[in-house]
Amino acid sequence: MPQPALPQLHPLLRTLTLGLVCLLAACNRAGDPVYRDQFFAFGTLIDLTFHGVDTPRAEQASRALEQTFRQMHSDWHAWQPGALQQANAGLAEHGQASVDPAMAALIQEANRLSTLSNGLFNPVIGRLVALWGFHNDEPPQGPPPAADRIRQLVEQVPASTDVRVDDGQIHSRNPAVRYDLGAFAKGYAIDRGIEQLKELGILHAIINAGGDLRAIGRHGNRPWRIGIRDPRKPGVLASIEPAGDESVFTSGDYERFYEHEGRRYHHIIDPRSGYPAGATVSATVIHPVAATADAAATALFVAGPDAWPAIARQMGVKYVMLVDREGRIHLNPAMQARLKFESEPEAIVMSEAL
Amino acid sequence: MQIQTTAEDQRIAWLAALAITIHILESAFPSPLPGIKPGLANVITIVVLVQFGWRSAAWVSLLRVLCGSLLLGTFLTPTFLLSLGGAVCSIAILWLACRLPGRGFGPVGFSLLAALAHMTGQFTIAWLLFIPHPALWRLFPVLLTAALLFGTVGGIIAGGISNRQRQCST
Amino acid sequence: MMTRADRVLMAIVLCALPLLYLHIWTDQEPATMLRMQVADMDATVTPLTPDRHVQLAGPIGESIIEIRAGQARFLDSPCPGKVCVHSGWLREAGQLAACLPNRISIQLLGSRPRFDAINF
Repeated sequence: MPQPALPQLHPLLRTLTLGLVCLLAACNRAGDPVYRDQFFAFGTLIDLTFHGVDTPRAEQASRALEQTFRQMHSDWHAWQPGALQQANAGLAEHGQASVDPAMAALIQEANRLSTLSNGLFNPVIGRLVALWGFHNDEPPQGPPPAADRIRQLVEQVPASTDVRVDDGQIHSRNPAVRYDLGAFAKGYAIDRGIEQLKELGILHAIINAGGDLRAIGRHGNRPWRIGIRDPRKPGVLASIEPAGDESVFTSGDYERFYEHEGRRYHHIIDPRSGYPAGATVSATVIHPVAATADAAATALFVAGPDAWPAIARQMGVKYVMLVDREGRIHLNPAMQARLKFESEPEAIVMSEAL
Repeated sequence: MQIQTTAEDQRIAWLAALAITIHILESAFPSPLPGIKPGLANVITIVVLVQFGWRSAAWVSLLRVLCGSLLLGTFLTPTFLLSLGGAVCSIAILWLACRLPGRGFGPVGFSLLAALAHMTGQFTIAWLLFIPHPALWRLFPVLLTAALLFGTVGGIIAGGISNRQRQCST
Repeated sequence: MMTRADRVLMAIVLCALPLLYLHIWTDQEPATMLRMQVADMDATVTPLTPDRHVQLAGPIGESIIEIRAGQARFLDSPCPGKVCVHSGWLREAGQLAACLPNRISIQLLGSRPRFDAINF
């Protein structure tokens, strides 16, 4: 007698259902092994995200990182007493100053990237930045500085090539040189922070310092997901998944600015004119090293919608997105392949491959 | 000049003609949601598969897409590409499904597989070629639900036709 | 008229389809909690319901956080620039806002944030 089909099928169906229920439960389990912590340093909020690290170890790492960042911040501060201010005072008085090895390395790296950027990223225009009033935690109120004072400072052409670093000493042949490592120190510090995390055995993490970040490893079984904020309206413009170890940096005119008589004056000064660079709204760069990404984002912002590909090539940057004043999005093809736009952009200007 | 035709060729031609007719009739009715159609022409493919095998079914299906689009004037348009992508996917999955050992699938199983594969193929092409927007994926489960519904109903109809045909021929 | 293979297939499809809905439609889970941190103190995590105002005392004064309809924002803060207030509503899990002068940060939390970090 043939067996009826249904009773035979039941155990199979039961196993199947059970398996699916387990799968459902696994998908839905509350929370994931992510640890987050935040602290204030470098005049901004440092946001840490670790994946797959148990809480005591994560807390320990977070405390250690906070200390490192605080130390670097006070050493390299552009306008508060610290090692950098001492160095600037030395440069002003004698054209030279002694620096510790950490500071020498930072300055050397800044100089190297400045040269690669044709001076568009210029770490020695401290006097210009101070004149514009951005040596302050709060944006200034305006009015903008007088035109002849700006011209005076620009005509002195302070450049990183004026500076020589050797044997714990920096020498400048240009009396106008003052270091302002502002944003660059932040990128450089993120790199040191990531090194420290790796030494502590934390291999899946994001250090996000006020919107500029470096991500290593993954979020469990998927890559990290980074949203790039729209420079002009609330919400996210596009997203990207960092591959293994990458930094995502954006320089934008909305970060620090003030408005005076209907005009916006922001903190990214074009060293050639002495005025805030006018053609760009934001420049986003992806690069493995945070310091390079940081300097490149500034340099490409200043370079603007026409000149950026040449500078990017010189600096070895492979992924760039630039939003110009008209809202057009400038991309290189490799960047387009990696970006996922939240909504189809109205106008894309594609550059040649970098 | 005369082209030699076998009995199978003629059978395929007849069945394809029938499928094309249904295909065109179906396209005359407006669809409530883009991408969702009852897929009655799919019923013919399944009947052919059950009665004459995969080769005939593949011919009927591809001829339907090709001739249907020529008659409707959509040849090489997006509609045609979508329809072709769906057909190729469903034929491919049916080829695999025919190779299942034992008693294997019946008309309902074949029809369901074909409908799901058709939808997936069509959707993938739509996503790759026309609307590569992540939000499109939100529609995907809805479309598959429709495919599940129409695939099952189509399979039951195909099973009914096959049984009656078998009764007639004996 | 259905074979055994048909039935198994049907069962798999019927089980998998809800999973697919779940997977694709819950990609973006709404935020459920708000994390608030003042200076170096431990963060507090509070649910996003009911709607209310939360006062946080920072080094330079009191910042007011408004929680409404699953969203949160700085309603007022004693800082001169009011950057935190101008940064507006936080809507998605993972988003954060901070008042640097008053050293207060707020962040929406959810079990499945769409982004792990926001670049700007």
